Order: sequence, then C-alpha cells, then structure tokens
Amino acid sequence: MPETNSGILEIKNVNKSFGGLLAVNHVNLSVKKGELHALIGPNGAGKTTLLNLINGILHVSGGNILFNGQEITNLSPHRISHIGIARTLQITSLFPGLTVHENVWTAAQSRKKFFNPFLPARRWRDVQEKTEAMLELTGLKEKASLICSELSYGDQRILEMGIALSTEPKLLLLDEPTAGLNSQESMALVKKMRTMLSGQTIILVEHDMGVVMELADTISVLHYGSIIAEGPPAKIKENEEVKKVYLGTEDA
Amino acid sequence: MSSWKEKPFGFTLIFGLVILGLVILPFFTELYYQTFLTELFVWILFAISFDLIFGYTGLLSFGQALFFGIGGYTITILTRKYGLGTEPGLLLCILIPMVFAWFVGYFSVKLTGIHFVIITIIFAIIANIIGDTWTSLTGGKDGLTFSPRPFRLGFFQINLMDIKGNYYFVLAVVALCYLILRRIVQSPLGKIFVSIRENEERARLIGYHVQRYKLIAFIIAGGLSGLAGGLYSLTLKYAGAGYLHWSVSGHAVVYTIVGGMGTLIGPVVGTGIILSLEHYLVNFLQATDLVVGIVLVVMVLLAPKGIVGLIQSRRKKGKASA
Repeated sequence: MPETNSGILEIKNVNKSFGGLLAVNHVNLSVKKGELHALIGPNGAGKTTLLNLINGILHVSGGNILFNGQEITNLSPHRISHIGIARTLQITSLFPGLTVHENVWTAAQSRKKFFNPFLPARRWRDVQEKTEAMLELTGLKEKASLICSELSYGDQRILEMGIALSTEPKLLLLDEPTAGLNSQESMALVKKMRTMLSGQTIILVEHDMGVVMELADTISVLHYGSIIAEGPPAKIKENEEVKKVYLGTEDA
Repeated sequence: MSSWKEKPFGFTLIFGLVILGLVILPFFTELYYQTFLTELFVWILFAISFDLIFGYTGLLSFGQALFFGIGGYTITILTRKYGLGTEPGLLLCILIPMVFAWFVGYFSVKLTGIHFVIITIIFAIIANIIGDTWTSLTGGKDGLTFSPRPFRLGFFQINLMDIKGNYYFVLAVVALCYLILRRIVQSPLGKIFVSIRENEERARLIGYHVQRYKLIAFIIAGGLSGLAGGLYSLTLKYAGAGYLHWSVSGHAVVYTIVGGMGTLIGPVVGTGIILSLEHYLVNFLQATDLVVGIVLVVMVLLAPKGIVGLIQSRRKKGKASA
C-alpha cells in the first residue's frame, strides 16, 4: 500500500452495500498525480461501483474520499465535476442529437461562472477556441458538423473523452473505454489516448488486459469488492493470487 | 435551426418582412380577421413559451395552462378591483405566474419522464378547481369581465378597447417575446437547456446543476405563458377558470408538435396552420377537433420533427446531393 496523503485522490476505508450485498468492501486506494491507475478485476468486482462512488453517482455506505486533501464524499456529480473530476461511462454518454462541435462546446462552456441568457453563445471566443483546440486534439475536426450519433463507435468513445477533457479535469475516470470495440479499434483508441491524455491523472477501469498492461503505471486488482493486489504491471502479472482470481479465469 | 443561426441577416430580413406584412394587414382586412389574428398571436406566444420547456429542455409540461390562466386572472382582477393600469398589470402577468412556476417547478423538476407530466397535470387540475370554486376572487364558473385601461408609454398610447389597437399591441408584445426567446435559446443558457434535453446524466457529469437549470427554464416558460394569458384576457376582456384547465396546455402541445419542437419557428408555423384549419373547418364541420387530431397523428407518425423539421431535412438532403 502506498503511504496515505501522498495521492491526489485518497479513498479511505470505503464501503458500499446494496441491500445485503457488499459491492465495495473497505477499499483503500491512493492515486498519485500524473499516474494512470488501472482498476481491474472480474465482472461484478465493484470497479464501476467504485467510480460511481468517487464522482457522486452513488453514495458511500461508509468511509471517506479525499481529493487534494479536500473531503468530497457524497457530493453530487455536478459538484464533483467542478472540483476537477471528469468521467466517461461504460455505455457511451453523449448528447446524441447535437453535432460533434455542439457536444464539445457544451462541455467547454461548463467552466464559466455565469450563463448570460441574452448573450449569443458564439460570442464566447474563449469557449470557441477551447472547442476548436479539443476538436483538433481528438482528431474530430473534420467531423465537427456531423450529428454525433452518425460517428463510428470508436469516434464516439473518443468524443466522450474529449467532452470529459473539456471540463479541464485534474482527474479523469475512464470506465472501459474499449468496451464494444474490436481489437483493431481498441489499438487505434489506445494510440489516440496516448496522445490525448498525456500528463493526465487517470483511473482506468478496463477488461482488456493488453490495454491495461500497455497504459497503466499502477494496477489495483478488485475481487468481490476488495483490493487484493496493487503494484506496477510487471508485478501484478506475476502475482499468484491475481493469476488465480482474475487472469486465471480469463485463460480458462 | 443551424441554418437560421448561420445567416442572421436572413432571419432579420424575414422577420422584418413578416412583421411589416402584419403591420399593414389591418388596412386591407375586416375587423373579424384582426380579432382572429390577435388570438393567433397570443397562442403563438403560448406555444413558444411551452416549447422552451418541452422542445428545448425536454420536459413535457401540462402545467402551462395554470400559468396562462393565472396571467389572465392577474390583469383582470388587478384592473377590475384595483384599477391598476395595463403597464404594471402586464408586468405582473409575468411576475406572478413566475412565482407560481417557481413553486410548481420546485416540486416538479425533481421528477422525470411521465412522473413530471403527471405532477404538472395535477397542479393544473388543483388550480382549475380553486378557480372554479373561489367565487369571490375569480367569479367562479362565470369568470370575470373587465375593460382594459389604455397602454401608455411616454406620449405613446394604445387604446386596447379598440380591436385594431389591441391587434397592434399584442403583435408588438409577441414579436418582442419571440426575439427575447430567440436570444435565450441561442445563449449559453440555452445550450444548457438543450444539453439537458439530450442527455441529463451527461449534462450533470460535465458540471451542470440539472435541476436548477430545469427550474430556470420552467420559470421563464411560466412567465411567458402567464404573459400570453394576460394578453388573451386583454383581447377577450375576460378571464375564467376554463383557461386554467390542463387541457389548454394540450393546445400548445399540438401546435408545437405539428410545427416542429425544439425550434422557435416550429410552434409559430404549427399554431398558424392548426388555428387556420380550425377557423376554416368550423364553417361546415362541428368536429374540428377530430380533424386536428388526425393531423396530429399523421404528423407524429410521418414527421416527428414537425413541418419545420421536414423542411430542414429536405434542405439538408438537397445540400448533400448537390
């Protein structure tokens, strides 16, 4: 276990129970600034639940979550967003009827304090520039005027990351970005993520072990709601318990 | 919508021409048509205010009748009982319904989907019952009649007892409201409303306090629905509990869906078409509602984005193939 108070995000003894089921069981987790911290584990291990606890979609049953030393336990998702934690979802979550440009714009203007109802939105030059820069970064500039539901699935995943990044997060929670992609698309997405997300602090929930080994600095393994191992990819690969509960089941 | 945005000059030109046409129209038409058009303008305002909450923010509110009815009572009671002038009266036709909208919205926007629809209907039903039974205030089932005071702005004065004066006054107010609403939906605030309609969860995840913005949309829409009710009472010289009935909201739903929700021009077109159709049919048919119902069903099945949506997609296709 890394020492406490060193991370940008500190999860301390967090529980979540649904009725009698303990989905997250006394989890301690520390995420350091600038690292990509992968959360892996079999289906139902509590990975998504843990992300939902961090950004306030769910309330904890016990324990504390600290972000930059500030208590953020059970704050609502919109407040978590303003504190600096962004999120992508397992099932792509975009504004389906809007164009790619409008999708990014809506996120890019979210850091403004006052939404003047009598000012034409296009006069916000800084938001316009921010939007353009994000379209550039995501490589979606050419497709900016498409309705986002017309994008390929892979592009939609990238767009969702672009939306999350447009909120200027200090921590990014990515929930299975490669879900639903074939291996070729996954590789393309990983390549894109490398350029898009460099320098970001990230918690990545991911099933694809190839992606995890490629990207992660640290891996935490969840099993039945508990963390059973934590360490750099090379060490996790060799961990006997992990092999047994997770990698083993995948090989079988 | 995007094509309007890209060519603001085009909008100014068309808007200006339409208003100009409506300004000179009374010189060529009978009073009868002026009355019809005045009522049409009122329903247009009602429909576009409804579309702000429904077409833009994604909340199907049947509570707009409540604000419409309260707006009507506001100007009527204040003029009758307290002799208040039309200028402060109309301002209160916005503010008082806004207070009610804040109250109703406070409870309603926490609910989503069908639950939101039902609670807004319930509020309108309660208001209708109160309006029907609180006879000393509302005149009960008979309603209240009154004589509007002239509208004064500096040296400028409009006699609202005069059909032509009333026509110009309502036209001016509705045109102004249209421009204000257009500003709002194109503003950063309007972008938030649309994002809530498109995906509430995503809007919340990027930091928008969804309930607060729903409430803001609800209050703005409530105020403008109230103003529409006030203008209607100025036109009819009457207010009654019938206008509080939730089914009055149904008019706005029909106009908006037929014309095209999520655009401002849609409800204008829809209101124009449906009211003209009813106006024409009533000469030789009793069941005009039946025809309107059929039109609605056909539109929902064949053109869910309404007439305006149909034209836009045609244009887009034309551009793509060109």
